[in-house]
Amino acid sequence: MKITWNWLLDYVDVSDLTPQEVAQKMTNAGIPVEHMEPFVDGVSGVVVGEVVHVEQHPNADRLRICTVDVGAQAHLTIVCGAHNVAASQRVPVALVGAKLPGMEIGKSKLRGVISEGMICSVSELGIDPYLFPKEQTTGIFVLAQDAPVGEDMNVYLGLNDMVMELELTPNRSDCLSLRGVAYEVAALFGRSVRMPNPQLQTLEVTVRDLSVSIETDLCTAYAGQVVEGLQLGSAPMWMQMRLLAVGMRSINNLVDITNYVMFEWGQPLHAFNYEVIDRQQVIVRQAVTGEQIVTLDGQTRTLTEAMIVIADPSKALGLAGVMGGQNSEVTADTTAVVIESALFDPLQTRRTGKTLQLRSEAGLRFEKGPDPTVISAALARAVELMVHYAGGRIAASPVLLGDAFDHMKYKKVVVGTSRVERLLGFSVSARQMLDVCNRLQFGVEVEADHFVVEVPSRRPDITIEEDMIEEFARLIGYEHIPTTMIEGPLTAGHLTKEQYVRRIITDHLIAQGLQEVVTYSLVSLEELSRIGLEPDHEWPQSIPLLHPLSDDHSVLRTTMLPSLLAVAKMNVSYRRLDLRLFEMGKVYWSKQLPLLEQPDERLMLAGLLLGRKHPEHPYDRARAYDFYDAKGITESILARTGIHAPVVFERAATPYFHGGQSADLSIQGVTCGRVGRVHQAVANAYDLPDCYYFELDVRALVEASTNELYVAEIPRFPGVVRDLALVVKHELAVSALLATVKEVAGEELNAMNVFDIYTGDGIEEGDKSVALRLFFQSLSRTLTDDEMETTINRILTHVKSVHGAVLRE
Amino acid sequence: MRERLLELQVQALAEIEKVDALEELETWRVGYLGKKGELSGVLRTMGTLSVEERPLVGQIANDVRAELETAYQTREKSLQIAAMRKREAKETIDVTLPGRKSWLGAEHPLHKVIRRIEDIFLGFGFTVEEGPEVELDYYNFEALNLPKDHPARDMQDTFYITEEILMRTHTSPMQARMLAERYPATDIRMIVPGRVYRRDDDDATHSHAFMQVEGLVVGHGVRMSDLKGMLLQFAREMFGEDQEVRLRPSFFPFTEPSAELDIRCIYCGGSGCRTCKQTGFIEILGCGMIHPNVLQMQGYDARELSGFAFGMGVERIAMLMYRVEDIRQFYQNDVRLLEQFATLTR
Repeated sequence: MKITWNWLLDYVDVSDLTPQEVAQKMTNAGIPVEHMEPFVDGVSGVVVGEVVHVEQHPNADRLRICTVDVGAQAHLTIVCGAHNVAASQRVPVALVGAKLPGMEIGKSKLRGVISEGMICSVSELGIDPYLFPKEQTTGIFVLAQDAPVGEDMNVYLGLNDMVMELELTPNRSDCLSLRGVAYEVAALFGRSVRMPNPQLQTLEVTVRDLSVSIETDLCTAYAGQVVEGLQLGSAPMWMQMRLLAVGMRSINNLVDITNYVMFEWGQPLHAFNYEVIDRQQVIVRQAVTGEQIVTLDGQTRTLTEAMIVIADPSKALGLAGVMGGQNSEVTADTTAVVIESALFDPLQTRRTGKTLQLRSEAGLRFEKGPDPTVISAALARAVELMVHYAGGRIAASPVLLGDAFDHMKYKKVVVGTSRVERLLGFSVSARQMLDVCNRLQFGVEVEADHFVVEVPSRRPDITIEEDMIEEFARLIGYEHIPTTMIEGPLTAGHLTKEQYVRRIITDHLIAQGLQEVVTYSLVSLEELSRIGLEPDHEWPQSIPLLHPLSDDHSVLRTTMLPSLLAVAKMNVSYRRLDLRLFEMGKVYWSKQLPLLEQPDERLMLAGLLLGRKHPEHPYDRARAYDFYDAKGITESILARTGIHAPVVFERAATPYFHGGQSADLSIQGVTCGRVGRVHQAVANAYDLPDCYYFELDVRALVEASTNELYVAEIPRFPGVVRDLALVVKHELAVSALLATVKEVAGEELNAMNVFDIYTGDGIEEGDKSVALRLFFQSLSRTLTDDEMETTINRILTHVKSVHGAVLRE
Repeated sequence: MRERLLELQVQALAEIEKVDALEELETWRVGYLGKKGELSGVLRTMGTLSVEERPLVGQIANDVRAELETAYQTREKSLQIAAMRKREAKETIDVTLPGRKSWLGAEHPLHKVIRRIEDIFLGFGFTVEEGPEVELDYYNFEALNLPKDHPARDMQDTFYITEEILMRTHTSPMQARMLAERYPATDIRMIVPGRVYRRDDDDATHSHAFMQVEGLVVGHGVRMSDLKGMLLQFAREMFGEDQEVRLRPSFFPFTEPSAELDIRCIYCGGSGCRTCKQTGFIEILGCGMIHPNVLQMQGYDARELSGFAFGMGVERIAMLMYRVEDIRQFYQNDVRLLEQFATLTR
């Protein structure tokens, strides 16, 4: 919402203050003045002049020599290049010595003729031509014929003004009018408000009949009056300039007047051609579904029955509160209009505007619900201005329908005196409260322990006690609220087990050198095909948004892989070829589509490794990451998380992984993640070299995580180490061999490592040698050589019978 | 014989002076002190001496032996040291070469900020709660005093999934959820960090997805001054001991009275700069006293219980703290930005 300083001063006298002082106080009171700038900056020495005579420049085809009367004794000679200059025009004249934005006017000689000033265009005066009619901006600025010759242009156009842009919160729709802002400013500075007080005029003998009927509940009040004898033309210049300053295009005197009154009172008005109304009957009704109307912008609109139309017995004339119809538009030969000042259902107005994508200043005000008590004042004001500035005459008494006119002008809000202090935390005296009510011009009844505040209808945002308490705080000043600490029971803050485990995992991975990333969860549907999932894949289906802004963010992700691959791709493109990325983020699995209930939001831990395992060093060739690095990190996470249950890695066929380097992992039968080498085709799709990915279901880890709080005893007897190199078939999974060893190794087997896998010389083709280091330990005695001998032999016999494994010679 | 021993001593000591390798020293030791060495040789002839002379000569022989052994040990030590020096010379490396490095990982700045906020509020006795991002219209709007078609819904353009299911536009739905879940609570202190979504085009200051931290305190007699006091403590923990806060009236449908909280500009300290638009203050969060409708909708008596709520944008705070100028950088994950956080202690 934009206002101008001078316009505001019409209604509240704060001329002893600077615009900055007022803006500062408004901002601190919750009506932030977001932006403030001079309407036009740096214009001086420009006056209204009359072109007395024009003749062709003898030495230049495009120049004219004008004789201009600027109210001084002598006429000036001014050379002008504009095509539209003509005798008897009133024009802005920059005198010698005048200042215009970016230039200063001096006496100059143009092709041999001395020019004593300059006739100015709109943009030379520093006015944004954007909202001007085109014919006014292609040459010099032609002023109205009644522009007083010699008057300073700053005064005439009101250029010495500040434009203030208010950033209104949705509750303060009262400040969508100068009237509302004036009441606010008056309250802040303890001033009074002086609004015009127009009265509706009745006519004893009706010149032009008008009947109005309301056939829908969606229109609660309608005021209208017929004005005739109108002459369509331009609105007075000061009015055009004010509308321009607040961002409204000047159209003609009639439309400008309705807009001006809307800005003044907050009540949108509509003026439409009286002549086209069939049988002089205006009907406010709901549209018939499928009914069409051509609106003022030339668009044909198809309506639904929820929409409200202004109609006559044979046709719709306009879309109530949204836009007028072309058939009733005010045109050059219009001499009689109906001025409509009405109240339409805010929700329906808003829905209609949204459905038809029509946003207007009027619609904006209707959907917030204007003050019902100003409909007749706004109508009277518009009639008065049309009589004054458009040659109008009242042609009938006003029509007033609906209950708005005998509407209660205020609502009562009861405020407990002690409640104010209980809610705000500081004491506010009855005197202060009374003072605030007076400044707001709210009526008040003071009782022993409460106030009954009469809140006028111009402040629809105040309906309950707390709203009124906010008004007290706001006008006394939030800076008076002290700082205290909450009273009440002392509670210990704590994280949940899951939150702790998540921090442990994050810290662990960072310590391992991994970089945390954060990526969007709204992704493109195409990502799934890029990682090799066919359209008919059996994975959870992506949940689509109803109205995405772009294809790139149109569905909720079901896997983290594409997000990490995209981050890697971007970084690799910057030649960062060694990357270790992880993200703990959500994937969204639907149970059915379209959604009937909220989906499963699963927190996943995903990691991607590519490039070298360590930074390069002159004495250490860094090797590239491989599958076992990814698996090792996964295992270290499980260990860190306190998972003591056995974790099983099984070969798996995941579409986006290498066929031979992919495993699913499970804990006690529950699948909780996967690790693998990213499929060559997928890596290629992201322009990436070999990379390795792991993904863990964080909730499953948290569930498997134990809270053991004791340590095992340190053994007092020496342990025994035995190495065994076993030759087995190449395809035998080492995990199977280890399991077999474990079956018969006895409870003294404390640990078992695979320290070498060998193929080549001495080992037959198709075989491999697996070197195991077994560590035996008893907590109760020293193990003897004989006993170890027996155990090893038992192991060897067993692995031979199960896997055909033999001891390597 | 006595002369023979002394001669031997002189000779041995002279020789050992010339020994400059450990192997030669061993030869010397065997030669003089070994079982078949010179000294033993001399002592073997002790039998020829008279009974009176024997103790005297024996004494001398012991002295000589002690002398030679001392000389041996001294020499051995100095030769060992020399040998080690020699080896060290061979093993000398360029200590100015860089050390073997490990990759340094870092927490993402947005999570760094959230963790810091969590830690501060944990210290105030808060719990950390999390809720669904795919939320019901009821919790995101209606339960927060934003009925369907409420004009204030315009403030938050929403990604809908169905008519009733949407991407939450703020972390505030957790206010209603926790009030309902903990009913009839008399004491709630919680924060809710999480992702939220708005139907906004991405640019330097807008993102369709971002993060918020919501706060909720409910209890008997909770006042707006408590809100100001707690957020002042928070601002001091987060932005510095000497911080000051300022409340300005504002509007949120689910709080009344409502306010914006400003802190003193962390760049200019309040004297005015480009970041604070010369005001000396910067806005960091919205807050207010819980609207009675929000309490009542979950079955609470708003006359009995009161509370406050606040919500802050994590990206905004991160942008201010780390002077990142484009919100999109947090989601681009350029490691040239992210790895800098490995060496930032805050």
